[in-house]
Amino acid sequence: MSIALRGISKQFGEFAAVKDVDLDVPTGALIALLGPSGCGKTTLLRIIAGLETPDHGHVLFDSRDATLWPTRDRKVGFVFQHYALFRHMTVFENVAFGLKVKPRRERPAAAEIAKKVRSLLELVQLGWAGDRFPAQLSGGQRQRVALARALAIDPDVLLLDEPFGALDSQVRHELRRWLRRLHDELHFTSIFVTHDQQEAIEVADTIVVLNRGRIEQIGVPSEVYDLPTSAFVHRFLGQVNELPVQVRDGRAFVGPIDISNSVETRAGAPDKIALIRPHEIEIGPEAAGWPAVVVAVRVIGPIVRLELCAEGQPANEPLEAEISRERFEGERYDVGQKVGLRFRRWQVYPASGTAA
Amino acid sequence: MKRPLHSSRVLLIAVALTFLGLFLLLPLLVVFAQALSKGVVAYAGAIADPTAWAAIKLTLLVAAIAVPCNLVFGVAAAWAITKFEFRGKSALITLIDLPFAVSPVIAGLVFILLFGSHGWFGGLLREHHIRVVFAVPGIVLATIFVTFPFIARELIPVMQSQGKDDEQTALSLGATGWQTFWRVTLPNIRWGLLYGVLLANARAMGEFGAVSVVSGHIRGLTNTMPLHVEILYNEYNYTAAFAVASLLALLALLTLAGKSFLEWRQPELRHAARQSLDRTRS
Repeated sequence: MSIALRGISKQFGEFAAVKDVDLDVPTGALIALLGPSGCGKTTLLRIIAGLETPDHGHVLFDSRDATLWPTRDRKVGFVFQHYALFRHMTVFENVAFGLKVKPRRERPAAAEIAKKVRSLLELVQLGWAGDRFPAQLSGGQRQRVALARALAIDPDVLLLDEPFGALDSQVRHELRRWLRRLHDELHFTSIFVTHDQQEAIEVADTIVVLNRGRIEQIGVPSEVYDLPTSAFVHRFLGQVNELPVQVRDGRAFVGPIDISNSVETRAGAPDKIALIRPHEIEIGPEAAGWPAVVVAVRVIGPIVRLELCAEGQPANEPLEAEISRERFEGERYDVGQKVGLRFRRWQVYPASGTAA
Repeated sequence: MKRPLHSSRVLLIAVALTFLGLFLLLPLLVVFAQALSKGVVAYAGAIADPTAWAAIKLTLLVAAIAVPCNLVFGVAAAWAITKFEFRGKSALITLIDLPFAVSPVIAGLVFILLFGSHGWFGGLLREHHIRVVFAVPGIVLATIFVTFPFIARELIPVMQSQGKDDEQTALSLGATGWQTFWRVTLPNIRWGLLYGVLLANARAMGEFGAVSVVSGHIRGLTNTMPLHVEILYNEYNYTAAFAVASLLALLALLTLAGKSFLEWRQPELRHAARQSLDRTRS
């Protein structure tokens, strides 16, 4: 089922949670709503589920206006961050719930329900846990039960609110991959909310970046990561170094590095900042770039993060650069060593965007 | 590792235990001792007395009406307060506490003012030959009033801590509001509910002040057990008075036992109980 949002706004008291949002989710898509807390991503998800009513705008399910449909008629599977398993029911009963509450003429026979629940539990690799109570399961297992329960009603859409937020990183990683596989097998339309850019990039086909109730950018993961349209998106999708752009004699510089070809240099142009990701900084011999001193070295598995104090930059705001472990093993940078920096890529934004 | 007992600790414990013994345990023992002072036969006789028996039956009847009424109200109020946002919510919460705040005597007087022969609805009731004050309906109303907050107060913190996720999940799975209540909400709150019912019941059976004002003290007709005890006592019939009182004391002990059992079953109730205690104190 495809979902479309048209001009959705929602206010909570004085706080505008969502402002005039338009969004199209095609059938079978796996979309991430990504943003910092308070950006309106969860409100948007709850509006799609019918758990909130928008103040303005329309929610379309396959181009039928579903704005005022009650939650129970929407056929959406909703998965909460904290699982919301019914604690007084066994895992089996939890998964069977959506089938057992159907009106009598639609309700499958008990044997059929049992069969379906068992196959769903197999699907989430919890075939053995049917008789357990939620309290007896680990977080990752509980979230899989919650997913099986949501899938039991054959939802047209699966909505997940920070589904892996309460899990530790190992389990989170496994569940992400598992969700991706499940989605590829079953082809339901899914929308999930996350504040974790890593998660959004790993799982989703399309990322919708939200900020202060508005959509900042929509695109496939590589697009939002590599070609952010605003400083906010650039900052939110990974680490960045921020440097002021100086204009001298009709040329633009970051430090001593000339970036004039990417910046408007006429007099009176507004102030700009350059955003550079850590892996876009190249480290070479001192003479070959912006002189800098290595102030810290941290090996993080396959990558090495260097903190660099560049000449003319405040000492308490070192730049961050990332190089591969292999590179590092070859070059052996040490704290105190003098190096020269160059930028492989950068993006320039108006400096007023800093506040965003 | 056990810490050694300091003298100050020993002293404090001794003081606490002495007080406990003097003001709680001793009276309880006195009640039973007095009741049985003239032997088991006299005790049984005092309870089998028709007026005593009528008082017992009336007390049970009043509790049997008041507690279910407050059960329905308490669940509805707690549900509304914790699961929905609406105007006047804080006013409702304050109103629920009103019976805790006013003296039971005043509660009784309110019903006299409303339904007494010179009260607001007195004329109307007389026309239809309905007796409220100095009759069973008045006693039931007064009891409902004083036991009003118990169940709601017990449930609100329990339901608040549980949040709305379970209910919203049930709705998204296609359950109706009614199914959600019976299959999800009620099982989640059952221990808290039972606990509230227990407390409300104890209060309903033991209420004196409010009931005393509206009852009219008609022997065998409008006397509940606490009122009956007072009458017997004023007539210097100590054995009978304490015999009936011992039944009330027994009820209190049973309530306490039930309460401890529930707290042991559901540790979060202990938390809820502490919270409501904090609120009454503040």
